[in-house]
Amino acid sequence: MLTRGTVIYIVQRVILIAFTVLVVSFGVFYAVHSLPGNAFISEKLHGESLQAVLHSYGLDRPIPVQYWDFLRNALHGDFGQSFVIQGQPITPLLVRELSVSMMLGGAALLITIGMGIPFGVVAAMRQNTAWDYSLTTFAVIGYSVPSFVIATLGILIFGLWLHDLTGGAFYYPISWTGTYGNLAELSVPAIALGLYTSGQVTRITRAAMLDVVQQDYVRTARAKGLKARIVTLRHVLRNALVPVTSILRPLIVSIIAGSVVIENLFGIPGLGKEFVRSITAHDYNITVAVFSVYAALIGVANLAVDLVYTVIDPRIRY
Amino acid sequence: MTRPVLEVKNLSTSFFTDDGEVKAVRDVSFELYPGETLGIVGESGCGKSVTAMSVLGLVQRPGKIINGQILFQDRDLIKVSSEEMRQIRGRDIAMIFQDPLSSLNPVLRVGFQIDEAMKAHDKVAREDIAARGVSLFQQVRVPDAPRRIKDYPHQFSGGMRQRAMIAMGLSNRPEILIADEPTTALDVTVQAQILELLRDLNQEMGTSIILITHNLGVIAGLCKRVVVMYAGEIVEEGPAEQIFEAPQHPYTWSLLRSLPRVDEKKHERLRSIEGLPPDLIAPPPGCEFNPRCPFRIEKCFTEDPELEVVAAGQQAACWVTMTKAYAEMGAATITDTRPGAASGVRPPADLLQVVADLRTLEEPAVLEKLAEDPDLLEKLAADPTALEQLAEEHPAVVETLTDE
Repeated sequence: MLTRGTVIYIVQRVILIAFTVLVVSFGVFYAVHSLPGNAFISEKLHGESLQAVLHSYGLDRPIPVQYWDFLRNALHGDFGQSFVIQGQPITPLLVRELSVSMMLGGAALLITIGMGIPFGVVAAMRQNTAWDYSLTTFAVIGYSVPSFVIATLGILIFGLWLHDLTGGAFYYPISWTGTYGNLAELSVPAIALGLYTSGQVTRITRAAMLDVVQQDYVRTARAKGLKARIVTLRHVLRNALVPVTSILRPLIVSIIAGSVVIENLFGIPGLGKEFVRSITAHDYNITVAVFSVYAALIGVANLAVDLVYTVIDPRIRY
Repeated sequence: MTRPVLEVKNLSTSFFTDDGEVKAVRDVSFELYPGETLGIVGESGCGKSVTAMSVLGLVQRPGKIINGQILFQDRDLIKVSSEEMRQIRGRDIAMIFQDPLSSLNPVLRVGFQIDEAMKAHDKVAREDIAARGVSLFQQVRVPDAPRRIKDYPHQFSGGMRQRAMIAMGLSNRPEILIADEPTTALDVTVQAQILELLRDLNQEMGTSIILITHNLGVIAGLCKRVVVMYAGEIVEEGPAEQIFEAPQHPYTWSLLRSLPRVDEKKHERLRSIEGLPPDLIAPPPGCEFNPRCPFRIEKCFTEDPELEVVAAGQQAACWVTMTKAYAEMGAATITDTRPGAASGVRPPADLLQVVADLRTLEEPAVLEKLAEDPDLLEKLAADPTALEQLAEEHPAVVETLTDE
């Protein structure tokens, strides 16, 4: 399975990802430092005393020098300290928040695949029936309604109307204790995040299934006397998964981007929420670190999709 | 006479499209005897593949078998349950297809696809399946069989894929193998190898073969008996030699004439059959071949001929038949295969009268008349002679007509 060529390919891609992260981090570092304002400016702090504070943090040095400093520490796994939350080291904070976001994103991806593919298969196999129409309609609603609308509806229904019933199980308590959510807390935001992507997957799966059903090899499979279920799953679905895998790439990116909105709406203490907070608060090092983590995440996700390809389609070899 | 293994009686299959009912197969009957290789010939769209798909119960919506019987092992395959039909497919009646490049699943190993055919039925014992896969591969002469069987289809050449398809088809030792244009997508040397393979397998294993093709050369090498189809119907049937020596239906005659020959003078134009096969939604009245037939008579425009015995074991559906055409029309010497050329018989008088009237009109008036009367337009389009006459006066009109 893992041939020499594949290993070389993976190593090349990892180097490329590292390079991308480097470029992204420098770009973002330069951009946030060039913005007017900073984390310390306030009514009480200005003039010379502000300059003194900036100097104590090394923020009055030229940007490339500051970046070099940041990069050296980052390569040792240390992103420095938060300017706003005094004395808070960034690395452990991000690790904790990343794990929350990964759970949310993972749940959304699970919904994307676990709901999208079966729905698409059923819709295609029952083409032009009530099944097809209801599943297709559901998918269209899923990818047409913006995720923040679904999220708001979710909060309204589960957080407000059904509050007595659920006992607040469906949203994060405001005073977050630092442990990440249980399944109930995650489910509503994950659905709000995954409905768009699962709708897309349903659409693509259905179209791909209907396309593959027309292929000669499906006729061959039927002529062999295979059972209908085996024809559908082994011959039609296996081939339909190829285009479905291609769409996963942009969908994973949209899950990561969507998580920023969803985490802020639900108050989930993940990377997305930190991302927005750090930008508005000029918490430079956190912004750069979060951006870098996102860049790495997208790179790794794309690599994973490319490797899944080779499993699904033996004609693809690296 | 031995009992046939397969008997198709009055089979009719239609496709119900938005434009109307396409009568792809009409009232087709034939028998297949044990160990025999039967050829079904005809041009594209004549219903030969649909006939085969009907036998296997593989006609998909919007297609439907609307009439007839398909008798196999004392059962009517049209009436059996879908589960029974599934068990027959691949086990008792196997099929291989035209394009081996697209007929194998690209994401599954070839060996797996062969094993799968055996696992779908109980004919081959489970523990023998893997070994039988390899021996089948050797039987269809794939070199280095034990290694190649683990390959994926894209690692195979076209000829090798067709061998794999044949191995798959034979894996359950079926009584009947239907080969639908098995060599069309292959180059000539590989074609010969595949045909030789089919012949050997037919002789060694006694499998009856239905060979569907548009290539008369393929039939000549392999088949004892031939069925000729045109526009969804059987127009001629009989022993292969007899049909090649003395075809009785003008369609068969035209097909044989259109075979390019190596011993003929170079630079001579290839002969084709003038015109196109008829529209199967609304076939012309009378014999379906009448718009293209050089030997037609008046009767051909009004009455549809049935299959009749024309020689020992040979049947043809034609009012003229070639023997008479040779004798009465001097057809043996005709080189002009245009419709009506030998007999000079034109389409029904009323249509020609209309054409004559149209010729006296100015061009815009002609177009107007044709636009008003879609029926007439259709009749005209179906009749090359009438079109030709109209073209003498109004070439531009005919040009737009034929473009449509």
